This record gives sequence, structure tokens and C-alpha cells, in this order.
Amino acid sequence: MDKELIIGIDLGTTNSLVGVVDSGFPIILADANGERIIPSAVSYRKGGEPLVGREALRSRAVAPKRTITSVKRFIGRPFSDLSAEEISSVPYELTGGKQGPLSIPLGSEDAVTPQQVSGEILRHLKSIAEAALETEVRRAVITVPAYFNNAQREATKAAAEEAGLQVERMINEPTAAALAYGLDKLDENQTVAVYDLGGGTFDLSVLQMRDGLFEVISTAGDTRLGGDDIDAAIASELMSRFDLRELSSGEQATLLAAAREAKEALSKQDSHTVRLPFFRDGKSYEQTVSRAEMEALIAPVIERTRPICQRAFAEAAAKGAGTVDHLILVGGSTRIPLVREKVEEWFSLEPNVSQHPDEAIALGAAIQAGILCGRVRSIVLVDVTPLSLGIETFGGLMNVIIPRNSTIPAKAGEMFTNAVTNQESIAIRVLQGEREMAKDNWLLGEVLLPFEKGPKGSARVGVQFAIDRDGILEVLARDTVTNEDYVLEIRDAAVDVEDEAVEAMVSESIDYAFDDMNERVWTEAKLKSGELIPAVEMALEQVGDQLEEEELSQIGAATETVMVILQRGDKDAAALKKANLALDEATQTLAAILVEAAFADPDS
Amino acid sequence: MVSNHFTTLNLPESLILESGDIDASWREKTKDEESGDLHEARATLADPVRRLEHWLFLRKVEPPRGSSMAPPMMDLFSQIHGVLAETDAVITKMKSATTALMRAVMTKSAVQAQLKLQGCMQKIQQEKAERLDRFPEFEKKGNGGEFTEAVEVLGQLKFLRKWEQQCQERLLSLLEF
Repeated sequence: MDKELIIGIDLGTTNSLVGVVDSGFPIILADANGERIIPSAVSYRKGGEPLVGREALRSRAVAPKRTITSVKRFIGRPFSDLSAEEISSVPYELTGGKQGPLSIPLGSEDAVTPQQVSGEILRHLKSIAEAALETEVRRAVITVPAYFNNAQREATKAAAEEAGLQVERMINEPTAAALAYGLDKLDENQTVAVYDLGGGTFDLSVLQMRDGLFEVISTAGDTRLGGDDIDAAIASELMSRFDLRELSSGEQATLLAAAREAKEALSKQDSHTVRLPFFRDGKSYEQTVSRAEMEALIAPVIERTRPICQRAFAEAAAKGAGTVDHLILVGGSTRIPLVREKVEEWFSLEPNVSQHPDEAIALGAAIQAGILCGRVRSIVLVDVTPLSLGIETFGGLMNVIIPRNSTIPAKAGEMFTNAVTNQESIAIRVLQGEREMAKDNWLLGEVLLPFEKGPKGSARVGVQFAIDRDGILEVLARDTVTNEDYVLEIRDAAVDVEDEAVEAMVSESIDYAFDDMNERVWTEAKLKSGELIPAVEMALEQVGDQLEEEELSQIGAATETVMVILQRGDKDAAALKKANLALDEATQTLAAILVEAAFADPDS
Repeated sequence: MVSNHFTTLNLPESLILESGDIDASWREKTKDEESGDLHEARATLADPVRRLEHWLFLRKVEPPRGSSMAPPMMDLFSQIHGVLAETDAVITKMKSATTALMRAVMTKSAVQAQLKLQGCMQKIQQEKAERLDRFPEFEKKGNGGEFTEAVEVLGQLKFLRKWEQQCQERLLSLLEF
């Protein structure tokens, strides 16, 4: 007899899908309109149930501040973690205190958290599954980016619970994609890398597949890198071409949608005309963008995935994994031809595009769900933790206890003792991340260890740090008298001393974002000039003799322009930005000569 | 509290193990029933330094005390320390650079740092290999109840491993530019 049904969910930044295993094969379920790819959008209507999916997206232009998209970028993160750029990247508002989750104000009185918005999407997916399967659904496997940290995973799990779904397992997105890829290759032995560039996150995982055992060797990623950044780069170019400055929320939403449309069109054809009819004060805008122009704009975004891949490959090699046989591309953004070209160029491996970019992860989630409820046999999945887990030691350093890329579930024990006589407890700060200084890593929380009263060094408490199969941390302490383990509570680390400082920082960041755009642009541009001018000098000194007379005079003129604007004192931010760009361009050959010289003869 | 990782994976309690055998045993057992104990056992035994440490632990040998370093290790330490500090300075400068030209100006120092790091890595790996080669000797002596040298070398291997990680971390950071 079948165990209770479990569904598989891909909760994506841009789109979400729900699947299930049917007669041994994973399938994606469709909604009442026959749609399988559900936009991860929620629109909160005044006095009514929220709209989810395509319907929500339609109300984006009319209710930009009440229509939430790309919320996955914000789940499980405190407001103080956001950059001004991130805050201004979405048409809706974001606020929050010094700790706890951030909040999205919906207008006059109500507000929602990213977790609630995700919960709404999950509730919708649950109802799609229930309608399609004609049965109640209570359990699910949910995918998360491999590089999600503890807080992001916990918040995702909590969102599912709010939606009435018990999370049976959370699996990493690239791992899920590998399951979908490997389902019909169970008798083969391969080493594969999954390059997963989605709407908001990027992951690369290296896996070994042997006789139905899927073992992740290493993983690396960036949870703020994806299609959204590509859209933003295009939108920013459109803004400057249309000579638009400040945008209203509605205008921003429309422009982002147009940028996304351009990206999708230019992935298939060589040129596309962006049309914004009656965009502002009845005025329409129109611009034609070529594929080459778009590629120049988005190349820096794609370039950011390269060191991440190199990191994962290097660590897989260090762990003794053989050469990568196949590089599998998944995630909507891998449809962009430039992504495919770059990946092939970097790693000299023809990318494998056999998997459906939008569906592979959901299919993998469905397979994992099938394994757990006994509908799929003979597959075992073993994953790793993406980030090192450690504790803060004296001097504010991070002491790694479970290194990144450890197979999970993982555990490690530490002994703690009292440093002074009759010390009652010790507070341990638990951290996640790769930086040497504790403060540069994520603080997961504090654990309070009680000590038996006694002379210095007499109390001993053994603590076990464990990362479960979902990548979530648990801290256990052992009672030395009864030898029983008990779970320690991880408290949100209270920021007591620095309350005011943090508050100032938060309010500053808001000011920074909204109050004075010109001041902000000017400051950034001035910093850039301050770096460029001495760099030009140094560069000319080293290889200036290899330049043509004409190039030298161009550089001279461009430098002069920057200096004049700096000295003028009218803080013309736009002019300085433009002058910096011109100097950047004028020194391109110079930079290329320098780099070449550095590699040709590093010892000179 | 710590179990015998050799027993967990049905392997002989020996310092000399083939990584292929460790993996094969782990794979067989994991397919039957996945568990954190199995993962921990493999992670411990696959790393020769941790394997030696665990082997000594099972023999109730006191771990190396303090951080006394033999002179050749001391020389290597000061050499590596200098390269690490130099590299950190380069990485900091590269990270704060916002223009392509500035990064280009810095490229030469970055390439130089990379070469020096690779030199350090080679030296470390050589030192490490020399010590790992002595495992059969340690095992033999250990069977006769003599652990002094094994304990001493374990301390040195831990230093080498730490330095190797530090160099590796910087090499990966340099890749980002």
C-alpha cells in the first residue's frame, strides 16, 4: 500500500511549480487554466483574498506597492542586511527594525513579511495539487538554493507550515536538478556539475552519480545573483537612453517588465524594440536594442558566476572527485545564449541543455518526494552543507566546527568549561560563513550553556552541533549526570549595546536610498574618480610608452574633464559619472596592456 | 561519546587505508541506511591527519600538547606567514577597486602573489607527504606501545593542514579578479 502522498515544490524567485511522482515518473501539475509554471507573485487586494500567480502579476502595474514579486530574495534576512541598491530594486516598499524579519508595508495599515508572502504562494501550489490529484495534500518536499543559509532555510520551512504543509525534506535546487537528469541513468557512473542560474539565485554543485547513489561533493553559490540582476542592468540602460531620472513605483514595475521582455526576446532574436506607450505624462518611449548591446550590458552579471564555479570545482578536486563529465544547465536564465557561450568558453565543456530550464528542479523535488513516500526506489541522495558552521572565540575570530561541503547530516562536538570559579553559564555565539572574523559571518544566534557551580575549570559541558538533512542547525548539550542529550534553544542574538548605532545605520540606509539620489550618485562617482586618477598615473608610468600618441592625448583630455568637474563644486553627479565613464573607456587599451604585461612577465 | 570510525565502516583499524576502500565501504552502507555516523566516519578516515588523530585517540594516547615547533617548521611558518600577509594586502586593494583600470594596475601584484602562494602550497604538500610516508612506521611502533613520534608528527601535520587551507583560501579569493 502507498504511504501518504508527498508533493514536490520548486519555490522559485520568479516562478514556482508543483509536481508528483505518478507510476514511477515525475510530472508537473497544472492549474485550472492548464498552466504549470506559476509566477511567484502575490497581490494583496484591499478587503479580499490575495491573488497569486498570473493574476497577481497582472495587477502589478495598477497596484505596484501591493504586488509582491521576487520575495525569495528577502526571505530569512533582516532589514539591516539589505543594501540601498537592493531596497530600491523592487517597486514595493521594505522596512524593518534592527533585528527580526523585514516587513513589506502594503499601504495605510497592514504589512506582510516575506515569509507570509512565500506562504501564500505555497498555499496556492497546495491547492493546485489538491485540485489536480483530487485529494488532500499535507506533506511536501521543497527546494531551496544550495547556498541558502540557516535563517533562509528556517524561514522557508516556516512559510510552508503556515500554508498547512509539513516539510518532509528540503533539498538543494541543483541537487534536485541532478536527480531529474539522472533518473534514467541510474546504472551509469558519472561526475556532473549543475549550473543553476535562476531568477534571483545562482548555485553550482558538483555531484557523483554511482549506482543510484547521488552524492554532492561540493557546492558554491550566491543568493543574490540571477535574472533579476540582468533585468536591472537592462532597465538601467533603458532609463539612461530615455533620459529618465526618478521613477514612480508603477513606472519602475513597467520598466522592469519591459527589460525582462527585451531579455527574453533577445535570447531568441538579434534585435528588439522596447516600447513604453504613454509611459509618463502621456509621452511614449521607444528604443531598439540589439543582442550585442544587451550582451555587453549583462556580461558583468554573468561573469560573477565564474569564480563561484571555480571555487566549487577546486573543492571537488581537492576532495578527490574525478573530472566533470557533464555540465548541466538549469534555471530560466540559462536560456540566454551568452550564458551558454561563456560557460563553454570557461570550462571547455559543451553545456548539457537536456533538462527543461524551468521544470528540472520541480521534477527533482517530485522524485525526492517519491523516494520518501515509497513511490520511487533505489535512489539515495547525499548532500553537503554549503557554509561553514563555527563559534566565536576570543578576539572575535571564527572557529570552524563543521567545514563547508561536509556531508549532511553532520555533527561535531565541543567541550566547554568554566573560566572562572562559580561561573553560572557561558553564552556561545554560533556563526555561519567563510570569513575569518566572526563579525563578517552570519550570526545564527546565541546558545546559553549552564554550568554546575564549582572551581575554575571544574565544570564541563559537552555540546554537539548538528546540521540535519534539511541543512538546519540543531545544538544539543549533554547532561553529565544523566548522560541525556537535550536541545538547546538558539536565541535571536540580542543587540543590546549597539542599539542606537544600529538604528542610526538603518535610518541612514533609508535616507541614503530615498532622500537624496544626487548626493548618493555624487559620492559614488567621486570615489570612483579618486581611484581612477592615481590609477591612470601609475599605469602610464608603467606602460605609457606602449601607447599611440592619439590614445595618450585622449586619456589626458578625459582625465582633465574629470578633474575640472571635481573642482567646480556644483556637485553635478550626472556629469561626473559620464566623465568617469569616458575615462574608463579611454583607458581600456591601457588596462589591457597592463594585464597582458602582468601575466607575460610577473617577475619584472 | 566518539565511536570507532573504523568499525563503523567495517575497515581494519589501520593507519594505511586506500581512499577507494573507504569510499566503497561508505557507499555500500549509505545505500542501506544513510546516517550522520557514516558520514562522520568517512570524513575522519578519508583525511589522513584526522585518521591518525582518531587512531591515537582510540589507543588512548594524549594529543600533542602546546604548539612547540621544530626549527624547519618554524622557517616554513615565517615564510608562509609573510606570503599570506602580502596576499591579504593585495586582495584588500583588489576588492576595494571599483574601476577596471585600477584592477589592471593591481594585476601584476596579484599574479605575483598567486605564484608565491603556489610555491608555498608545493612546499607544504611536500612536507606533508614526507610525514604521511611515515605512517607504516608509526603503526608498527604503535603496535609495540610506542607513540611519541606519531604524536609529534600529528602536531606538525595539523599546522601544515592549517597553512594549506589558508593558502588555498587566498588562491580562491585571487581567482575572483
